[in-house]
Amino acid sequence: MLVASRGMPQQRTDPNGESMLETTVVVIGGGATGAGTFRDLCMRGVPTILLEQGGLAHGTSSRFHGLLHSGGRYAVGDNDSARECIEENTIVRRIGHQCVEETEGFFVLTPEDDPDYVQGWVEACAKAGIAAAEVDVHEALRLEPNLSPAIRRVFRVPDACVDGFRLVLHNAMSAQRYGGRMLTYHKAVAIHQQNGKVCGVTAHNTLTNEDVEIACSCVVNAAGSWSGRIAALAGLDVAVSPDRGTLVVFNHRFTSRVVNRLHPGSDGDIFVPHGSITILGTTSTTTDRPDDTIPTTAEVQRLLAIGEPLFPDVRNYRILRAFAGTRPLYTPGNASGRKASRGFHVVDHGSEGLEGMVSIFGGKLTTYRLMAERAADTVCKKLGVTAPCRTAEEALIPDPDKATLALAARHFPMAGLKIMADRLGDDLPSVLDAAKAKKENPLLCECEMVSLAEIEHVARDAATHSLTDIRLRTRLGMGTCQGTFCSLRTIAALAEHNIPLDIPPTENMRRFLQERWKGLRPALWGIQAREMELGRAVYAGVLNLDGAAHEQNC
Amino acid sequence: MNKIADVLVVGSGMAGLVAALSAAQQGCSVRLLSAGMGSLAICGGTIDLLGYVQGNAIADPWQGMTQLPEEHPYRLLGVDNVRLAMDSLRKTLEDHGWPMHPAIIDGHDGNTRLPTIMGTLKPTWLLPPGVEPQTLATAKNILVVSVEKLRDCRPGLVIDQLKRYKEWADRTYTPALLPSPFGEAHRSISALDLARLADRPQTRNWLLDNLAQFAGNYDLILLPPLCGSRADLALQQQISAIAKCPVVEMLSIPPGVGGLRLRDVLLRAMKECGCTFIENATALHAEVHDGCCTALQVNASGVVERQAAHAFVMATGGILGGGITMTPGTVQETVFGIDIPAPQDVGQWSEQDIFGNHIFSHMGIRVDSAMRPVGHEATPLWQNVFFAGRTVGGYDYAAEKSGLGVAIATGWQAGRMAARAALEMNGKQQ
Repeated sequence: MLVASRGMPQQRTDPNGESMLETTVVVIGGGATGAGTFRDLCMRGVPTILLEQGGLAHGTSSRFHGLLHSGGRYAVGDNDSARECIEENTIVRRIGHQCVEETEGFFVLTPEDDPDYVQGWVEACAKAGIAAAEVDVHEALRLEPNLSPAIRRVFRVPDACVDGFRLVLHNAMSAQRYGGRMLTYHKAVAIHQQNGKVCGVTAHNTLTNEDVEIACSCVVNAAGSWSGRIAALAGLDVAVSPDRGTLVVFNHRFTSRVVNRLHPGSDGDIFVPHGSITILGTTSTTTDRPDDTIPTTAEVQRLLAIGEPLFPDVRNYRILRAFAGTRPLYTPGNASGRKASRGFHVVDHGSEGLEGMVSIFGGKLTTYRLMAERAADTVCKKLGVTAPCRTAEEALIPDPDKATLALAARHFPMAGLKIMADRLGDDLPSVLDAAKAKKENPLLCECEMVSLAEIEHVARDAATHSLTDIRLRTRLGMGTCQGTFCSLRTIAALAEHNIPLDIPPTENMRRFLQERWKGLRPALWGIQAREMELGRAVYAGVLNLDGAAHEQNC
Repeated sequence: MNKIADVLVVGSGMAGLVAALSAAQQGCSVRLLSAGMGSLAICGGTIDLLGYVQGNAIADPWQGMTQLPEEHPYRLLGVDNVRLAMDSLRKTLEDHGWPMHPAIIDGHDGNTRLPTIMGTLKPTWLLPPGVEPQTLATAKNILVVSVEKLRDCRPGLVIDQLKRYKEWADRTYTPALLPSPFGEAHRSISALDLARLADRPQTRNWLLDNLAQFAGNYDLILLPPLCGSRADLALQQQISAIAKCPVVEMLSIPPGVGGLRLRDVLLRAMKECGCTFIENATALHAEVHDGCCTALQVNASGVVERQAAHAFVMATGGILGGGITMTPGTVQETVFGIDIPAPQDVGQWSEQDIFGNHIFSHMGIRVDSAMRPVGHEATPLWQNVFFAGRTVGGYDYAAEKSGLGVAIATGWQAGRMAARAALEMNGKQQ
């Protein structure tokens, strides 16, 4: 049995002067599972460091449709997973309401779907504990007038929408409140062992190209699609296969609710509204690369074809972009794609000869908290920590008090106040202080209501290196203009206030636009193509970003 | 309105306005339809001719033109015709009190690298009155001005960026932020809001008074385009006189204050020529018989009507203007329904690099040297239909920095050729 060291992660300098950190547990992977485990361990008083190779939620947790499953989708095929979903769905709504929009969901039978599937599905939902009440088709069409009038039957389920990035961020904030330490842009490159026990991790800072040594007695491999690679660092093998899923983002919210097709799980059958947009997903293709995230036109076309029976006008809605992520599917015996279980697995590698190493994989974002709890239980048992898990009871972020909100209303536009407070979580008081200290606090991104004070605050964070980092934290540039106007304003404001990012302005803009471009390319038609031409007119035609890349020589 | 026009021009961007003028100067009656403000409303006030060929910066655009591929509109027209088109435009601008000029290097005209509101430099050709390349090259002590609440332009960024260019690095910069003339109202402002204030003598003083405080302290003042939204030479001179140094506007993102000045001049010139200007009119489709177009169906302020003419110039602005319609797998010219060849796979339309050499950015109508669309055999599809501006294919205005130049050259030629076709048809009918 290993013994937990007292207190939170310590920094010390080794005799060679190299950076050396000391902790009890290193969690690898800054997605929902990793951040959830990080929080859980910190709440139980276990010193923990979180390592993430990119920015928070750089992998799959920001690359999915943002559906907080009721479990209806899995009721027939995997009833245990469905039960986990509904239980966790209820918990996440409670502890993370800032990240969730309680939209409810419809399961809709279209003329193309098998009507005989319905009875079994209703029974399976009942068995899993998912409330699924039938809604009269006329009533459903009144509530969702863009649905096809040809639909046959509609059921209402407690689906909800979740902001995956924010959920991860708020978990990390909570963990940090309990003393946890987070290192983003740090890639785990070695796992050290001594006498069959884990004794440390080497992390490579991808921005400075420096290595950091971390002494620890436990490693939690929560690297999602990358968990096979992390396990391999310790000479281990885990049965996880990345499975690529592509999604399409529309510039309209044409449904108030989540809308699923009532048929056995398939590509492109879920519409999820978020704020002013709608996401349609998801395809499923086996891939051997966890970072296989460039969407293709064929995938977009396929999604539109499958979405059409639900929303007949789907091809006329403007597509903002497409994106792809990889699911970390648990595939023992080479099960793959939709047949693979959506369940999750905790593996204690002690039985394979490496004490202190735990892997957690499979599952889905909806059940991230339960996965984290199981992983933390396994670690705590090894460490002899008896503190119980409290992540289901305590809110991720305490609600701001009325006085703070009243004060915030004086410095931020009322319309964006709740959006901003929900997004900021623990950062609200500091952003408020920054806004108070300013003569004015203009909105730099009107689509997502992001003000100068918030951008400055995020830009000063040690984890922020680029405009793309700022986009992820604030949602800057995620709206209609896709960054055409707000990215320039942001770069300009940061220069004005002497907050240099690591990357120089022209290159930062180019990378930001390049990231957006990646999502535009596979759906380069219709109104979105015109918007893209405006972007090229501005950034190449007027500002000469393309030429400047070679001409700025000092 | 029922009288048949000699030439019907569709589009009021640079290409459409130049085409209308060019046809009118041949003695034709011209009617111009415009769906919106045209692309000049998002353009800067300088005229690009050719800044880059295959990614290489070009000092002399005329020289650069010879290196362009054969299908490029400049090559189709020939350098001599491009010169005639530019001379014609410069004369029109000069006659209307807005003389524009290029830099002269060793006796040849060439490009000038002008600062943008992002602090980058962009090569451009014709400069607005008062902008002297020599001043830009030699000024040592530079004031960079913006205005509070004008979020698109911040002096800090401009200075930081300019210092990254060798020829601008070794100079002294001072940032200045003028108070917003709109006070503390919770609204951001655009350069156009400010430019409109400067248009009127009674609201102009905020700018003049604010610049007066810097008088005599600097060799050059850089500011966003806020010195008036009309082509008013006297105002430009007044501003420089008060600042006691050259005042140069940086190239800016939309709204295009500088482009609006060009639009102002060209609309005035067009009206003097007796052209009719119909706004809020969108061309829907064309009626064609025996190799000729007889009329366009037009949605004019919500009413569909027929606009007949002897010749037609389509200056519909390509992808951005709506002249080219892109759907998954197919690309079409919008009004005549001309198919534009494109790979079936949309993924091949563009490159992974946002500033790469994309297929879609060259997509457009293939024309002959008279700007008539041609079919497979390179024969004109119709005798009296001409295209101009970005709906024409074969060039990438954004990468080449050739947008207004190609618009002027093709507009001039299309207008001239449409006039010739119209006069021939008129002759036949009489």
